[in-house]
This record gives sequence, C-alpha cells and structure tokens, in this order.
Amino acid sequence: MMVLVLNCGSSSLKYQLLNMETEQLLATGLVQRIGMEDAGFEYKVPGGKEIKEVTSILDHTAGIKKTLAALTHPEYGVVKSMDEITAVGHRVVHGGEAFTSSVLITDEVKSTLRALFDLAPLHNPPNLTGILAAEAALPGKPQVGVFDTAFHQTMPRTSFLYALPYAMYKRHKVRRYGFHGTSHRYVSERLAANLGKSLDEMKVITCHLGNGSSVAAILNGKSFDTSMGFTPLEGLIMGTRSGDVDPGALFYIMQREELTVQELNSMLNKHAGMKGVSGISSDARQIEEEMEKGEARAKETFDMVEYRLRKYIGAYAAAMNGVDAIIFTGGIGENSNLLRGAVCRNLTYLGVELDAEINNTRSKKERTISTPGSKVQVWVIPTNEELVIARDTVAVVGAANR
Amino acid sequence: MAIRTWGIIGTGLMGRGISELVASKGFDVIVVGHTPAELEAARQSLDLSLQHQIEHWAITEAEKKVTMARVQYTTDLTQLAHADFVLHALIADLEEDKQIFRTLDQICRKDVILASNTSTLSITEIAAATYRPDRVIGCHYVTPYTKTRVVEIVRGLKTSDSTVAEVKALVEALDRTGVEVYEATGYVTTRLIVPLINEACAVLMEGVATADDIDTAMRLGFEMARGPLETADQIGLDTVLIMCERLWREYGEVRYRPSRILKKLVRAGQLGVATGEGFFKYDKNGHRIKNGGAR
Repeated sequence: MMVLVLNCGSSSLKYQLLNMETEQLLATGLVQRIGMEDAGFEYKVPGGKEIKEVTSILDHTAGIKKTLAALTHPEYGVVKSMDEITAVGHRVVHGGEAFTSSVLITDEVKSTLRALFDLAPLHNPPNLTGILAAEAALPGKPQVGVFDTAFHQTMPRTSFLYALPYAMYKRHKVRRYGFHGTSHRYVSERLAANLGKSLDEMKVITCHLGNGSSVAAILNGKSFDTSMGFTPLEGLIMGTRSGDVDPGALFYIMQREELTVQELNSMLNKHAGMKGVSGISSDARQIEEEMEKGEARAKETFDMVEYRLRKYIGAYAAAMNGVDAIIFTGGIGENSNLLRGAVCRNLTYLGVELDAEINNTRSKKERTISTPGSKVQVWVIPTNEELVIARDTVAVVGAANR
Repeated sequence: MAIRTWGIIGTGLMGRGISELVASKGFDVIVVGHTPAELEAARQSLDLSLQHQIEHWAITEAEKKVTMARVQYTTDLTQLAHADFVLHALIADLEEDKQIFRTLDQICRKDVILASNTSTLSITEIAAATYRPDRVIGCHYVTPYTKTRVVEIVRGLKTSDSTVAEVKALVEALDRTGVEVYEATGYVTTRLIVPLINEACAVLMEGVATADDIDTAMRLGFEMARGPLETADQIGLDTVLIMCERLWREYGEVRYRPSRILKKLVRAGQLGVATGEGFFKYDKNGHRIKNGGAR
C-alpha cells in the first residue's frame, strides 16, 4: 500500500511517497512558487536520483501532476503507475472543534473545512486547495485529512478556556486549540514503544522546538494542556514569534507607535522572538554560535528562550502533579544539546539527571539522554509528521472499507 | 485565464500606489512610464514606502525584496503584451485616453481586460475606441491607494457581465471591496468628496477657520481619518482641480466650480503630498509634518 502525503501552502507543496507495508520512504520533494512561470520542482529518491527543475507550474493540480509524473517516470520513478498509489494523506492545520481525529475527506468534511477558514486564514485555504487539486489529479483515490489541532482536542475545559467573557467562546470559538499535535502525539507514542509500556498512567511533557515551538502536557496518552493557544503565537519564545506577552503592553505599543492591528500582528509574528530580542537572527544555531563567541545579546536571548521553556515544563509538571518523561523533538529539540543541557541542569528538583556525554553526542536516533538513575527520563526523539499522516491515512481508509 | 501579471500605465501617485498595492498582494506588475527618470523615481518611491512599512513592523526585509522583485519598469508600451490585466492610471483627457486604449487594444491579448482608473471620463466613450468594448471597464481606486479599501467598479454601456465578475474577483484578491456603479461623472466617491473639499476651501478663504482647524473639526466631528484639505493634498490639488472642472462641466452646478484658492495653489505648483506642500507640508515619505505644516 503506497500513500502520498501532501502538505500544501499557498504557493508551495511538500510531498512524500511511502510504502506502508514497510513504512519505507520511497521519494520526497517539493514544489515552490506555484502559479509562477519559474516555479521550482524538487524530487529526491533517498540514496538515489535527485532532480531540481525550474518550470512553469500554474496551480496546485499541475504541481501534483508534475509530482505524479516524476513518481511514475520510467527511468527515475519509484512506482510503475498511479494505480499503485492507494490513498492521499493531507496535513491540515486547523480542525477547530469539529475534528478530533483524522477523517476521510467527503463533501461534508470539505464544507466544514471552509467554515473553519476564519480560524486559520493563512493555512486552511491552501490546505483545501491541495485537497481539491489532489482530487482532480488522482480521481477516485481516497483522501484523508490529518489535523494539527486534533490531538489537543482531549484537553479539559479548564485547560482550553481563556478567562475572557464566556460569550467570546460561544460566539467566536475563541479558546486554546494548540498545534503541532501530530508531532506531540508521534513522539509520545515512540517513547511508549521504546519503553515497552503503555502511555496510560504516564505523565509526559513533549517539547517540539523548531521554527515554531510548543510544549504539551500528555497525561495518560492524552493531551492535557499545550502552550500554543488560539493561534500559534502563544507560549514559548520562537524564531520570530514573541510567545506569551502581557496583552496590556500591546495596547500601549499600538498607541505609542500608532500601529494598526495588522502591523501589530506582523510585529508579534515576524519581528519578535529570538530575532526581535537578539537583533541577530531568528535561527537558534546562529544565536548559539554568537553566544559561544561571547556576544552578550545572543547569550541573553538564549537564556530567555531556555527560561521560558523551563517555566512551561515546571508548570506542566505541576499541572499533571508530576512527570515521568520529558521528550525533545523538532529541529532545535533534536539538535541543540546546549538548550537541552541548560534546561535539564535546572530541573534537578524534579529528579532530572542528565548524562552530559550522551546529551552532547550528535545522533539522528531515538535516545535517552538522562542517567539510568534519573527519576525523570529525558529523551530525544526525532519527529516524523509525514509518517503519522501516512499511518492515519492507512487506518482511516481501512476502517472506511470495512 | 487566471490573472498573474498586471500592466499599469502611469507613474504618478496613482500608478505608484496601485502598483505597490498589487505587488504586495503577490501579483507581478509591469509599470509603463514616459521616461527612465520617471520610472526610477517610481522605483525609489516604492523602495521608500516599503522601507517605511518595515519600520512600522508591517513587513520584513525579505518580504520587501520579494515585492520589489515583482515590479518591472519600462518605457515600452508593447511590453504590456505580457500582461493579463491592464489598468490605465494616468490623468489625461478623453482624446489621449482613447488613443491609449486604441493602442492597448492592438498590443494586449484579446481576452485581456483593459481598465481605466478615471472617475470623470466616460468608460463607454473610451471603450468605443477599441474592438473589445465588452472587455473595457472602469476601476476607480481611491487615495491613499495602499490603505483605502474600496474600489468603484464602473460598467460602460457594453461592458460584459463576465468582465464585471472577473474584476470583482480581482478586487477581492487585493483585499478590497468592490462597489458597482453606473457610469456617471464622479461616480460616488469623487462626486461627494469634491464639493466637500471645495466648500472647505471656501471656509478657509472666508477666514472662518485655519486649514488645521478645519481639518481637525471635520476629522474629530465626523470620525474621518483625514480632514477634507489633507484629503485634497493626498489626491493632488491638480487632480482635484481637474475633477472640479469636469464635474462642473458635466452637471453645471455651482457647487463644483473650483475655488480660487485651489487654482492659486495649483498655479504656484503646490500640488499637495506629491510636491511636499499643498494646504499642509509633507516629508519625503508623504507624512504630514506636524506643527508648522499648516498654512
């Protein structure tokens, strides 16, 4: 069973083809600048042929057709014909309260997705465009939507409600939704598999640290709380996003700088975070490099990022009345031994004991970085959202055929 | 055929403003001007405007670069053969407009919509100069172009329903609201703002209040973003004068007869934001210089 996984942005499309019997990645790539005469097409077979092309790709359907042509190419393709592709799995950012798990795409699902455009105006419209394009390019193949928010739908009301007038929730569905759900779910399940234990009766804190970052408290295998809220702006300090900030400060800034709502939105999303504080870069690697050269602002930025993350871990340990394991994932979580080290060194009160040597060893493997005696296990687990999407696609399609 | 590339004729405030708006929304733009110097000035003004937006946190350096890269400048009208939609954004008289549309009719692909930003000339007459009167339409943007969120969509006698529908969709893609109006000199916006400006000039001339106080009273009194005199400076006093004269000629109503102070300022070359001084003074970014800016 072959599954095509798609992640569609407004002018881009990332894809992976997976053989789900072996869970092996067959091909991966992306299409950029869709709608342009000079669109970019990339295609890569792991350990094999790599193609980069600049060509005219006028819409998402053309992008998917181009992808299919490469996948079935007699010379460098990985399948003989499109018939071998069984289903398509789509990453969809916002499932609102309507979707608590992955679903088979139907006309009803599509109209619900349209109704959710207001909640994620930047992401959901291109996600739907991708679904329609895949339907056009692969008629008759089942399609499955996998939502970033779905995993967090188990949060209790005390976690997801804001202390705003209740009418704001009733009228506009303003509440905490949380994001990166696919990743938080995947790494927590991988932890259970590694330990040979069930997630039931486990208290896990997962830290997805990348361009966007969030922490989740996972109680008995279910999301109990998470740091991103109504939008992906809340919570941790990120590359260019502020994370938590006093809303009162924002009204003051708007007045003093004479900013419009859009300008303020842009300030918090694109000009803040590590980039805004450091004035150096939004890239954690560069911040760490400058810090090691003795740059004071880089050091301060790193310390702020670490402190905010540690506060959240402490908060979630309190939220669950304890913690059994902490997992680091995402580009920064998987690669920054400095950040992991700094966070863990200050969590000894929880019983965290880091094995500095293992922590400092670079690896792409799933690994524990705490000592055998540590009361709380600390793990690094590389995330694989595409694999989760493909697995869910297989499961949903299987259930539908039954 | 999806519209990806706009052709915009004109490098005045209107041409510059609309090309910035369109490029910032992700379209490619071919700007046509008379001279290389004029085009360079337009490019610099786009650069400055985007720089200002960065200072206001609205965009990032990377987004500025992308927007700048979307705009091409040329003095060669035939480049518009590559455009999917063409907007004429120059104040001209009817004969000049007809001539340009006749030329565009020959240069542009048959399916391309030709639009005029005029608010005072007849779309029907302009359309009649082409072999595609069904594909000619009025698209009247209101200054300041990057901020104002309404576009008057004007049907000529022969403008087709599909042309209107396509332009409506295009206006929505720019995050603007389209208001459909029938051809009548001044439509809604120009016809209502011109007498207000003209009356403000009369109030100023009679010495009832200073320019600053007139604008403050109207701004605070009616929750306007700008008072009538600053609005006139934004539009360009030369443009306001032309609008007055055309409305006056068309309707024969005294309320449209241009005020003497308006004529005086235009003769003195004080045209508003474009020249740095009109009723008020402006800096290079087109922002009003507070205190000392008032006449």
